[in-house]
Amino acid sequence: MDWIAPLISATDLSLTAGGTAILSSVSLSVRAGEIVTVIGPNGSGKTSLLRALMGLVPVDAGEIARKPGLKIGYVPQHFARDRSIPMTVGGFVQLFATAGAARAALDRVGASGLERRQISSLSGGELARALLARAIAGQPELLVLDEPLAGVDIAGEAALYRLIAEIRDEIGCGVLLVSHDLHVVMAQADRVVCLNGHVCCEGKADKVVSDPAFAALFGSRIAGELALYVHRHDHSHPHAASRETLEMKGSAPG
Amino acid sequence: MRLSECAANAMDDFLWRAGTGGALLGAAAGPLGCFVLWRRMAYLGESVAHMGLLGAGLGLLLGFAPLTGVTATALVAALVMARAPGGPIPVSAFVGMVGHVGLALGFVLLASMETVRADLLGYLFGDVLALSATDVVIVGATAVLTLTTLALFWRSWLALAVSADIARAERRAGKLHEIAFLALVAAIVAVGLRVVGALLIVALILIPPAAARPLARTPEGMAGWAAAIAAASAPLGLAAAYWKDIPAGPSIVLAAAGLFVVASIGARAFGGRA
Repeated sequence: MDWIAPLISATDLSLTAGGTAILSSVSLSVRAGEIVTVIGPNGSGKTSLLRALMGLVPVDAGEIARKPGLKIGYVPQHFARDRSIPMTVGGFVQLFATAGAARAALDRVGASGLERRQISSLSGGELARALLARAIAGQPELLVLDEPLAGVDIAGEAALYRLIAEIRDEIGCGVLLVSHDLHVVMAQADRVVCLNGHVCCEGKADKVVSDPAFAALFGSRIAGELALYVHRHDHSHPHAASRETLEMKGSAPG
Repeated sequence: MRLSECAANAMDDFLWRAGTGGALLGAAAGPLGCFVLWRRMAYLGESVAHMGLLGAGLGLLLGFAPLTGVTATALVAALVMARAPGGPIPVSAFVGMVGHVGLALGFVLLASMETVRADLLGYLFGDVLALSATDVVIVGATAVLTLTTLALFWRSWLALAVSADIARAERRAGKLHEIAFLALVAAIVAVGLRVVGALLIVALILIPPAAARPLARTPEGMAGWAAAIAAASAPLGLAAAYWKDIPAGPSIVLAAAGLFVVASIGARAFGGRA
């Protein structure tokens, strides 16, 4: 898929904050239809990378290229449920899409029952669904999700990641995802980028977990467990596995 | 002129102008104030208003109309302070500090001018009873400009208020929307200085939206209620001032505070929403 121009790409991004290097020479790109997941320990710069890509923080060096007029659906890591703004979930989603699209999106994420609820009254899991609905309602070309599932229970989390993959299939968007739940991430990602200030390793999930850099970052026990998990997962979902091999060309481990 | 002549028979001309000017100011300050409240920019508004006093002083010193000085200073203050970087000193503390320095400087400047010294209280607490017909037209034009821009930019401004990160990442709001918002806050502060003064204008920006909050389930509803409450505060406050012979500007603010109490109790009594 190399011949298709990426939706968004970063080249040699560097970012410092208060004299500390947060990102050094990070390159990353997302193409239409692929799910790229950024993983890394706390403080590895995952959120900073996403915020830099979204133009929310200035970078010290490097380039960010967006496809002209790129439609993004962004789910930020933090969303304040502000009680000073009276707003229903339906009104919130409609602020960014037509009424019909808003209703369809809420339906799609299983949140149609929330339409008349005030945003400020939502639980963490309900808010996660409302934010996802809002992000997909405008039919984005690129979905950017920064730890989107805070507050979602484990069963709901796996289901929501499956949902994100399904939505990708339906609207053909690219997905850029930051998460720290390695199990679910490994199950859905086409490509995994392992970050620790710089890109440690990158590639298909099974390749990344067997990379020595991955074991160095997360410990060999987790790496071993995940290698087993990814292996098992490949066998139980042949469809997903074949999609991965199809779309994973050109992303050799960094 | 027929209408104002009829009104003049019923009550004094200056009261009529004060009521109209105050109501027009409120109708715009209320909805704009909702965004100040939602975006947690009360501190910024207050500091901009305090800097306005410095602007009035500078204007008089350099021979401009005070309104020009106030508008220019308020605008510069709003644009600069909105970009104040967060450091070891919290932004709100820094912004508050700058505003009060501006207030002190402005006061010193005005007090040093013999011809103005008598009007000092008017700059601090407003001089709504001295509004000229031209003043009312200026307030009205500012209100129309504010409400028109608000209607045009509603979605972008609301997106910024709900989540500035989402609005910026998805390019739903740009610099133009940010600057227009700050410019209008500065403009409302500038014309409001005549009506309720540098110390009280922010009350007219904050109290009506706070009163409107428990009455509304949508942002549109809250903006509408805020406009109505702020606009009603002017005639109510003037009536109280006329009746009890108290200062008019502070009386308008107290009327808004009274409506806040009524709205809060009312919303609770009738099964308060949200």
